[in-house]
Amino acid sequence: MADDDLVLEMRGIRKEFPGVVANDDVSFEVRRGEVHALLGENGAGKSTLMNILYGLYRPDGGEIRLNGKAVSFSSAREAIQAGIGMVHQHFMLIPVMTVAENVVLGTEPRNGVLLDEAQAARRVAEMAKTFKFAVDPEALVQDISVGQQQRVEIMKALYRNADVLILDEPTAVLTPQEASDLFEILQTLQREGLSIIFISHKLNEVLEIADRITVLRRGKTIETVPRAGATEASLARAMVGRDVLLRVDKPVAQVGDVLLEVEDLHVSDDRGLEKVRGVSFDVRAGEIVGIAGVDGNGQTELIDALTGLQKIDSGKVVIGGTQLSHATAKAALDAGIGHIPEDRQRRGLVLEFSIAENIALHDYAKPPTARSGWLFPGRMVQRAKTLISEFDVRGGGPLTRAGGLSGGNQQKLVAAREIDRDPKVLIAAQPTRGLDVGAIEYLHRRLVTERDEGRAILLVSLELEEILSLSDRILVLYEGKIVGEHTGEISEEAIGLEMLGGKETAAA
Amino acid sequence: MTDPGPSPSPEEAAQTGTLATRLALKQRAGGIVVPIVTVIFALVMSWIIVAATQHSAHTALVVFKEIFDGSGLNWVFHPSTNTFTSISAYNLSQTLLQTTPLILTGLAVAFAFRCGMFNIGANGQYLVGLMVANWLGVDLAGLNPFLHILLCIVAGTLAAAAFAGIAGVLKATVGAHEVITTIMLNWIAYWTASWLVGVGGPLQNASDPTAPISNQVSPGARLPDFWGKQGFSGLHIGIFLSLAAVVVFWVLLNRTTLGYEVRAVGFNPDAAAYGGINVKKNLIRAMAISGAFAGLAGTLDMLGGAQNYQIGQLDIPFIQVGFIGIAVALLGRTTAVGTLIGALFFGGLLYGSFHGLGSSSVIDPTLASNLTYIVQGLVVLFIGADVLILYVWNSRKRLRRKPPGTAAKGAEAAA
Amino acid sequence: MNTWTGRLENPLSTRLRDPGTTGALGILLGAFAAFLAIPPIEARTVTWPILVGIVAATFGVWTVTRGRRRLGWGAVAAGLLGIGLGILATRSSAANLESAFDATLVAQTLGFSTPLVFGAIGGMFSERSGVVNIGLEGMMLMGAFWGVYGADKGGTWIVGLLVAAGVGGLVALVYAFFAIHLRADQIVGGTAINFLAVGITGYFFIQLYNNNPIPNDVSLLPNLHVPGLPANPSNPHGFVDFLGQSIGDLSVLTWAALVLVFVAYLVVFKTPIGLRIRACGEHPRAADTVGINVYAIRYGCVVLSGVLAALGGIYLSEGPQGNGTFIFNMTNGRGFIALAAMIFGNWRPAGAAAAALLFGFSSALALKLQVYSSSAGTLFQILPYVLTLIAVAGVIGRTIAPAADGKPYAKQ
Repeated sequence: MADDDLVLEMRGIRKEFPGVVANDDVSFEVRRGEVHALLGENGAGKSTLMNILYGLYRPDGGEIRLNGKAVSFSSAREAIQAGIGMVHQHFMLIPVMTVAENVVLGTEPRNGVLLDEAQAARRVAEMAKTFKFAVDPEALVQDISVGQQQRVEIMKALYRNADVLILDEPTAVLTPQEASDLFEILQTLQREGLSIIFISHKLNEVLEIADRITVLRRGKTIETVPRAGATEASLARAMVGRDVLLRVDKPVAQVGDVLLEVEDLHVSDDRGLEKVRGVSFDVRAGEIVGIAGVDGNGQTELIDALTGLQKIDSGKVVIGGTQLSHATAKAALDAGIGHIPEDRQRRGLVLEFSIAENIALHDYAKPPTARSGWLFPGRMVQRAKTLISEFDVRGGGPLTRAGGLSGGNQQKLVAAREIDRDPKVLIAAQPTRGLDVGAIEYLHRRLVTERDEGRAILLVSLELEEILSLSDRILVLYEGKIVGEHTGEISEEAIGLEMLGGKETAAA
Repeated sequence: MTDPGPSPSPEEAAQTGTLATRLALKQRAGGIVVPIVTVIFALVMSWIIVAATQHSAHTALVVFKEIFDGSGLNWVFHPSTNTFTSISAYNLSQTLLQTTPLILTGLAVAFAFRCGMFNIGANGQYLVGLMVANWLGVDLAGLNPFLHILLCIVAGTLAAAAFAGIAGVLKATVGAHEVITTIMLNWIAYWTASWLVGVGGPLQNASDPTAPISNQVSPGARLPDFWGKQGFSGLHIGIFLSLAAVVVFWVLLNRTTLGYEVRAVGFNPDAAAYGGINVKKNLIRAMAISGAFAGLAGTLDMLGGAQNYQIGQLDIPFIQVGFIGIAVALLGRTTAVGTLIGALFFGGLLYGSFHGLGSSSVIDPTLASNLTYIVQGLVVLFIGADVLILYVWNSRKRLRRKPPGTAAKGAEAAA
Repeated sequence: MNTWTGRLENPLSTRLRDPGTTGALGILLGAFAAFLAIPPIEARTVTWPILVGIVAATFGVWTVTRGRRRLGWGAVAAGLLGIGLGILATRSSAANLESAFDATLVAQTLGFSTPLVFGAIGGMFSERSGVVNIGLEGMMLMGAFWGVYGADKGGTWIVGLLVAAGVGGLVALVYAFFAIHLRADQIVGGTAINFLAVGITGYFFIQLYNNNPIPNDVSLLPNLHVPGLPANPSNPHGFVDFLGQSIGDLSVLTWAALVLVFVAYLVVFKTPIGLRIRACGEHPRAADTVGINVYAIRYGCVVLSGVLAALGGIYLSEGPQGNGTFIFNMTNGRGFIALAAMIFGNWRPAGAAAAALLFGFSSALALKLQVYSSSAGTLFQILPYVLTLIAVAGVIGRTIAPAADGKPYAKQ
């Protein structure tokens, strides 16, 4: 029954998480020796599908056939034994061990009771030579480049005789040069008969490397097409879909003075990699400027730099006339920044604190909440009561623990706090991530209202729809640089291409 | 209901959160019930040990009755205030004497916990308070008693705060783990104290040059006893300072911006930094305040009951008071009132088993005294196992009512 | 270019200017400064130790400025320490010096170090697998008591060893259950084990021995006599006598500790199981995804750490200094010192053993220094703790714990 040509078939896969259907009747098949790309936006269900294949999640429905035989994995261990290898986006490598040690871990060559280090190094060296990996088996993983670390992950899979190799967003962490090296390696592997599943949301890459492309959207399979028939435009359309956009009725912006000015900003992440590379823009009173872009292109670092949470390498940040290029978070707050952070649970809220205490998070030391070091919880509660009713936060009173609220209400709580501070500049990062439609609508309306109050609003979102429906002006961030600016009538496909680096590769 | 992907269950949250988060989680999960269950569990297990080794379940029960009576907590049944005619009144006064430093070391450990740190160094900080109080209490003889006592207490407390602050600074600046540094500081304090009062040491007593013991605190610097006869180790006024410290602890944490910062940092340092709070400053400050509580305990013990210090004195207050403070704080869920109750429990257990059993009819008194450690160990062991407690607690709740969509509810509560 | 700068460019001076060389030289000179004043050289003037010490410190400062901060500060510390010790030594009488710095100092250093080595290696296994074991102290105490009990009731020290190891392993198993399966806070759990051990040993000591000393005919851990070396020469002089006094008559456990260090090194760094242990301590999820049973490895390592700590403990009660007696809470913080030695030794067997030797040496020296004044001897006890504080604070290089040390692992 099974086609001889097929290595892997996944049929009717369904996976539900509380409140969300991550995979809904997804079907997907891989032929022997092909590179099969799995394309989709963030949250389209690509990772869930692959985690099911790799034994990390149990599917709620559907079947998986490997080489024609039905299989069911309850752990990664079993998947590995069946010949599936996976290179995770976050590497499963031990930095303080050598390349060879990492590769053989768990399946070590032995010399009596001792570890046969020489044999391990030799086998890794042979493998590196065969596939032109250019990795020193004796080097410590922490000393080699990210691109080389990725090759170590591939070697781990090869050492365990993988037939099917899953690569989860492999180029997300690579430089363009490293990415093209990776593609050469993948072609070598393909010639050796491996089947490769390549997860990505970058169109140009997919078109460069894949033989066939399966597009997922909102947990469903949209289509599987051969590379030959696909174009960036057709794939983008399939990925984003033609659903009705969530339109927000908004009057024409009445633009005022420049309230946020950013000039030639350079910022590095915690590991010292430069993530924002010379960004300049400004935001005026009464406008919403949206920053579009795929995750990991410098959004987080940009926001952290503007809010004083990350050190600035060079460049200038001016908020309402106050320059704060090397300011602390407190100074940025005092200069008039309001910040709805992208991760409300990790950063935006102290989940163990009450609603009232969370509302006081920035201004707990200022009158009327406090005077000369003394806290007045009564006033804190009073303020919370006002904001709870104004922002329609449901699920509890001022003394309810913030952690007990639903996601939408938590986000309303954060928004209430930030807006109530009367900021000149409001930075909203992923303000509607994970919220239900009602909460999304509320927050969108609120952002427009605040715009009309004369605030400068910087909206950073991974959801293109959100950017399109709210922004008066759109900047596209790609690899730490602004690669496009749009006002007026905006073609979403054009932005989509820029977000995916399409324009740059076309120019290059 | 609205968040995509699996929300963390309470167990996962417990595993990933900071120390303060975990404690707060338990608080929510069990409230006052869990500490009580833990204590009962610990007492039952130690009862089993006694019953097994004495081959008599009845003897074991008598032992616990005798500990209870020995602690003087049976005083409520025959309240007389005369510590000479009423055994229970005397015992109660001694239990409260024992409770005085335990309240403070408990508060010390609890305060550090609230900022997400584990202060194992309360013993050393206590010793610093003890030694400074002894030094000033001896050296400034003749000063106005009120001034003298005040000076000793303030100086001892500040010195202990600075001493604990070392661990805070090391944590904030180079990330050295406070557990290791405070243990090392314990031993540094211990050997410094031993040197100070040792033969030839600067604080050694004047009368007997062969005895490694300090001078007695000058009579003017002694805390007056208010229950029991002066000079017969009655209950001194230090207990009021301890009780005041409970209030200070509560006010500091709940009614000042300092306390707000401490709690925010303890629960979620990332959110605290986002809120504009200086996390490093708070780590140092919280450790110093924690040390101040422990140091205060030392000064009170020195000016009150002890009055001198001897190397290697195996009496409980000197050796274990900081460590028992850990059990006190954990049992009290790091709250002010909880710590007070925890201190009373351990104070009673300590005095009741160490001294109250001196006249036991059924068991070797020294044998029973070791039960204190066993109970203490079991309490800490089980109170530390939050997953177990949460599991028991949640399964109890699950048994009681089985509404539909429990999973979603649980996820929401944890979100 | 020319003249003296040019002349400095020859190979020898290049090597001398290498910060690694100067740093090491500084440390050696610092040690030498102290050594000058004690037998057998015994310079009777303070000048030499001070001069040599200053040179050592200068080397250190230079090394620091060249970027090797860890080594440089080490040399500065060694130089200052050398000066201090040198002054101390020259100011004391020659007779005192002879009695303080003799061969028995070596023997006592090794003796004091023995339980620390066992504890530190035990702690290393536990932490290498990712479980912090603050409960070493309690496991050691359990070994001290149950070891003596086993030797007494079983009639031979071998039974004592087995009982100690068994009880240590059992306590560790309880701790492992709380730390691994229940994912309890490891610091709190370990603290609980310490409390429990004090109570249980105290209780059963009284229960089983009725508050009387353990009978003094208990079978003790034997000493091993090295053939050809006089263990107790009547009039010691010469190298053979020195050697005899130092290592001619050491406990079997002291020799075992030496073997243990080598075996532990081999196991951790040269065997497949060692690789897996380290993987569990560094990145348990990575270990899990290649089929390693993280829980099993962690259980094994924690139990092993309990067994080793208990063997260290039995040395206290059944070794040459313990003499078959148990004393209430007799470990006196040695478990914590062992833990510190392990950290100081950077989670490596040889490093941990070296740190344990240093701690043992300062204990032995403190004992010896009492010939001057008990006061100085007492104060000297602080040294190991201050050293540890400095070490963990990272002034002398940051020690690096296994990445997942102390973090409970939840299986997917």
